[in-house]
Amino acid sequence: MRSPKPYPAEAAPLRPLLAKEIREIVGGRSLWTMLLLLCPLIGYGFFQAVSLYNESSSAALQSPVLASSLSPLDGILVPTLGSFYVAVTLLFPFVAIRVLGQEKESGALRLLVQLPYRSSTLVVMKLVAVVLAWLFASLPALSALVVWRILGGRLSPAETSNLLLGHLLYGALVGSLALFAASIAESAATAAIIALAVTIGSWVLDFTVAGHPGLLAWIAHLSLTQTLRPFEQGLLSGGLVLGIAGVIGGFVALASVWLPPGIPVYRKLRSSLLCILVIAAILGAATRVGWSVDVTEDRRNSFSAADQKLLATLRLPLLVSVHLVPEDPRYADLQRNVLAKLDRAMPNVSISLAGGRQGFSTGGGESYGEIEYVYGGQSDVSRSTSPREILPLIYALARVSPPAPMSGDGYPGYPLVASAEASLFWFFGGLPLLVALCWWWIRRPPALDNSLVDQGGLS
Amino acid sequence: MSPTEQFANQCGVPLLRVSGLTKRFGGDLAIDGATFLALPCEILGIIGPNGAGKTTLMETVVGLLAANSGEVLWCGKSLPASRRRNALFYLPDGVRPYQDQVTAEVVAFFAGVYRRSAAEIDAILNSVGLKSVLHKRVHALSKGYNRRLLLALGLLAPHRLVLMDEPFDGFDLRQTRDIIGVLRHRAKGGRTFVLAIHQLADAERVCDRFVLLAGGQVRGSGTLDELRAETSLPEGSLEDIFLALT
Repeated sequence: MRSPKPYPAEAAPLRPLLAKEIREIVGGRSLWTMLLLLCPLIGYGFFQAVSLYNESSSAALQSPVLASSLSPLDGILVPTLGSFYVAVTLLFPFVAIRVLGQEKESGALRLLVQLPYRSSTLVVMKLVAVVLAWLFASLPALSALVVWRILGGRLSPAETSNLLLGHLLYGALVGSLALFAASIAESAATAAIIALAVTIGSWVLDFTVAGHPGLLAWIAHLSLTQTLRPFEQGLLSGGLVLGIAGVIGGFVALASVWLPPGIPVYRKLRSSLLCILVIAAILGAATRVGWSVDVTEDRRNSFSAADQKLLATLRLPLLVSVHLVPEDPRYADLQRNVLAKLDRAMPNVSISLAGGRQGFSTGGGESYGEIEYVYGGQSDVSRSTSPREILPLIYALARVSPPAPMSGDGYPGYPLVASAEASLFWFFGGLPLLVALCWWWIRRPPALDNSLVDQGGLS
Repeated sequence: MSPTEQFANQCGVPLLRVSGLTKRFGGDLAIDGATFLALPCEILGIIGPNGAGKTTLMETVVGLLAANSGEVLWCGKSLPASRRRNALFYLPDGVRPYQDQVTAEVVAFFAGVYRRSAAEIDAILNSVGLKSVLHKRVHALSKGYNRRLLLALGLLAPHRLVLMDEPFDGFDLRQTRDIIGVLRHRAKGGRTFVLAIHQLADAERVCDRFVLLAGGQVRGSGTLDELRAETSLPEGSLEDIFLALT
């Protein structure tokens, strides 16, 4: 008798599976509809961004100080890709769900799970196809960047790649979430509701609980929209990348657990619990990864190079006690201008919010607004949120002299007076036409070898 | 147990042996201790009216549904649900796979997965008569051609045992006869087929042995002659036997 393992999972080639997944996602209407919607959406966002940048640049050409505040990252890249982010949040789940939802609804999944692939392989191949679809959908946004370069605008390779990496991770995150939703839902419609409930729910979380202290602040950090912010600020954070990769892997693992039929629900729940524990462990590890790189040309996430170099040599712990409530705008200023930068520059920084909301509201008013710095047994207090005052204070505590400014520290800014009106023809005419032509070309009947079709059927 | 099955048991021949398989949906007992076996190179029919539990039985056997109890043996060895896809291939009923893709692409996908040669693909497409619609998208296929596509996918799978749910649904008389010829030819070549059929006339024409299913229970199994002997209906048709046993 022959072995009951005619085709072990390891022997099955991946290429036909991936090709099938790509055909499935490209053959559907959802990707093309999303692309057609993206053209005007991104085009208008880009046009508005260039218009505003143009107005600011007109004034900045006369003033180097104003010019230094003009960064293409903030002025062009983030708003243009912001439209793409909205589309990925609202439309991309429909594209991603299709690669699994269609098979569930047509019954083809019952054929697919019998093929000699592990369920994790099936889900990973689907995610690869989804990421390729994301790359395809990002073409209007990428074309906007090309138009910006044609207009004479500057694109920093580091800033641009970092921002695109952030969007890619966000797209993969939404895609993996959609696959997981499709794996647990009976129909594509239900899967879409689940996926949109999470993505739109993230927005609601951001709007309603952002800036609140305690548990609400922690919940706000779970929002998917938080994942893009550091990338938009020009920060490549190792912890964030690990965290997003962990969650993507977690959704893939959960989808792999729920994909195969014929496994009792209690076993799926048990495996899911294990997956969730692993995801939680990865997220916990990610919060401890402090590695990050400031990729911005204006070094907005860092002090000057001389200060960075000196602060890195201060090895003793720096304790910072902040007497502010988290929703106080001064705390946000302090966090952005000083604390986040100190945390990245110095090897050992501990930041604590001294006292609680009740303490401040019931009489601790004298010390409210004070920030206490303790280094090497010395302490000092300041109410400032500016690094110009705080850094000298820290140097004094550490008994070191402030560094001399290095040459070439200044960011010149990149003002550009240009009009993007002509680009509207591309985004509202040329590009949609090109998308429609590609759609038609893909949908056309393939040319088959005549030898395959010259035989008749049975009847 | 029929004489054929007793003989097969003694010789250790059965390719597939299903023993005491039970499947519940909540409080409903869909399959109640089903026991049967499939011999090499035969066409076994699982016969029963609509709602008898044929589809549930097949999906439980191949592991697409979790069984509450029972055992599936392959060549005498226990075959856990997670490994059944390595030994068994199941063609479900009512599936229209990858509707937006061209028929040739779907065939190429399965052929690629199982590393089938061009000659093998050609032979299978010829045998089921699918070549004339290879350029069409699956959603544009008629019910009969969709059934031929499924049949082609089943034949592309290299498994020794293929289970098919209502394989003749959508075919007219002539087409059914042609497909019966294809299955017979493949069975002679070493394959075993387990077919769920509710049309008794079709079943009688194609199957070597029968498992009669009603209300989720196996009411009888064996060749037509064995069933005739069991029911004391020496001239009885499958329909007569089925009515007698259920």
